Amino acid sequence: MDVFATEKNRAVRRSVREFCDRHIVPVAAAVDREARFPWEVVEKMGAMGYFGIQALPELSGAGMDTVNYAIVIEEISRACGGLGLCVTVHNSVALYPILAFGTDEQKERLIPDLALGRKIGAFCLTEPNAGSDASAIEATAIPDRDHYLVNANKVFVTNGGVADVCLIFARTDPAAGRRGISVVIAERGTPGFAVGDLEDLSGMRANPVSSIRLTDCRVPKTNLLGREGQGLIIGLNALDTGRIGIASQAVGIAQAALDEATRYAKERRQFGQPIGRHQAVGAMIADMATWVDAARLLVFRAAACRDAGRPFTRESAMAKLYASEAACRVTDLAVQIHGGYGFSRAYAVERFHRDARVTRIYEGTSEIHRMVISRSVLED
Amino acid sequence: MRIAVCVKSVVTKEPKNVKGSRVPRNPEDCVLNPFDRPALSLALSLAGEEGEVIALSMGPPAAREALYEALAAGAHRGVLLSDPALAGADTLATSRALAAALQKLGLLNLVMFGARSSDSDTGHVGPQTAELLDLPLASWSLEAAPEEGGAFLAVVREADGFREALSLPLPAVLTVHHQARPPEDTGLAGIQEAFTQKTVETWTLADLPLDPALVGEPGSPTTVLSMTRAEKSRKCEFLEGDPQAQAVELTQRLKDKGLL
Repeated sequence: MDVFATEKNRAVRRSVREFCDRHIVPVAAAVDREARFPWEVVEKMGAMGYFGIQALPELSGAGMDTVNYAIVIEEISRACGGLGLCVTVHNSVALYPILAFGTDEQKERLIPDLALGRKIGAFCLTEPNAGSDASAIEATAIPDRDHYLVNANKVFVTNGGVADVCLIFARTDPAAGRRGISVVIAERGTPGFAVGDLEDLSGMRANPVSSIRLTDCRVPKTNLLGREGQGLIIGLNALDTGRIGIASQAVGIAQAALDEATRYAKERRQFGQPIGRHQAVGAMIADMATWVDAARLLVFRAAACRDAGRPFTRESAMAKLYASEAACRVTDLAVQIHGGYGFSRAYAVERFHRDARVTRIYEGTSEIHRMVISRSVLED
Repeated sequence: MRIAVCVKSVVTKEPKNVKGSRVPRNPEDCVLNPFDRPALSLALSLAGEEGEVIALSMGPPAAREALYEALAAGAHRGVLLSDPALAGADTLATSRALAAALQKLGLLNLVMFGARSSDSDTGHVGPQTAELLDLPLASWSLEAAPEEGGAFLAVVREADGFREALSLPLPAVLTVHHQARPPEDTGLAGIQEAFTQKTVETWTLADLPLDPALVGEPGSPTTVLSMTRAEKSRKCEFLEGDPQAQAVELTQRLKDKGLL
């Protein structure tokens, strides 16, 4: 029982769960198998407001707070990790930075289409030689009268294959080091903007993760987000919020695995009784349920801190670290409880196990989060 | 049109520790009765842009959430009838309380109900309320459209495999067939609007001109003595022979049971 949930939180959870059960769960296994981005479902999700969860209603958003945002992401991820990933990245590290750092003109021009899911957003930071060390990026956006001349090779771009609005991290002043990094918004269709092949990933296969290459791509200066040199500030700010989304995603996948494992442990009989009655399996279920609840509570704390306007970097890092590691443990035990069937693609836990793994890697690895948390604790 | 839709908060999990007719409510396990949704959807389309749809429910405080679901789906106003003195009501005592609340709401063109509920499935409350209000009733309605300048309602109802076309003078009461409208999804914007721009009012017994002896447990002529899970016996039988012989055997058996 979640004693902290409000009537509104429950209304959001019920409505999203019902939507997912009706439209996403029936296709989740197939889109994973086919590595297909289900546009027919995504359009419906757009109409539900899932692509503008926290955008203001006057910009066609739903105007929800962060706790409700976390609930939406958790529920979508419970049905399909790849779509949960699409929605969290779109909302928190593509749309939100425009909302937080964009000019009025940029917001009015870009947010409504993003909030309604008519355009999909992406966050393009990672490069072949820059991952955890974001300041090592090599992309450049050289000012040229009223444009930037952008050259960038971005890899592992979530939503890359379908993204219309891409936040590109690039050096506008290559001599200025970390302070020369800026964010420019590149739109699909601009000459020089090319989407690479989709990655053949082990999990999150419904998400069209790809590389994006910009070659002498002329991006108008009106598409600079924030100020020149503000790139890493924008990036870190977006990732603080993004981590709450990834943590919610991990909770959703873990909850799905727990649900399947519990159902199976009640149905599957060995030695004359349901396997859940065997002490070893019961102990696994107990650990899984405890980890899922603990992860969710950490997510809600981080989200509530953000909603209260309080610092939440440490809280979101803890939520992301714990929830992603918990999701891997929970999905692993869900496979174990299913025995040989858990290793078969015919059973959903096999997919959850693959999907959970990357939550410990993207939007900051567990190792980076331990650095963030330890620094914060030691500086207290 | 000004329409009231009477809705019910139903439990989604098998209740435990049931004593008598009182089922303990946990808000996480309560939802708007899914069979009320087609009634709400039909009400919203009949009311039109200028109209008003009021969702009314009787239940414990947890039933507020079913009313918020109705507001999120488009209802304009929510009223919860909630009082410890109303608890333990059977369908007649429930109908009396709803009828009094409907009268308090003032002039209504139409009162609508889902034809059934997913947790107790008596189908009593709509017809009983119509009787108490002395209004004409069309049950299991599939379609409804105003006619003769809004003085009458043309209704198509379905029961036992037949469709019946009716005309009712308004105001009237409809119970709505669960297939009257396809399931609809509720978006986040509707939920946000429900919680920021609309309210659920709570009325107690003191707000209604009702004798306490006629409502709640004291006003209920029926008493639930126990509730246990119904045991269903299933038999699995394999048909023998080639596929054609199996098909002939299967169709014959279905015919014998009156299913074909």
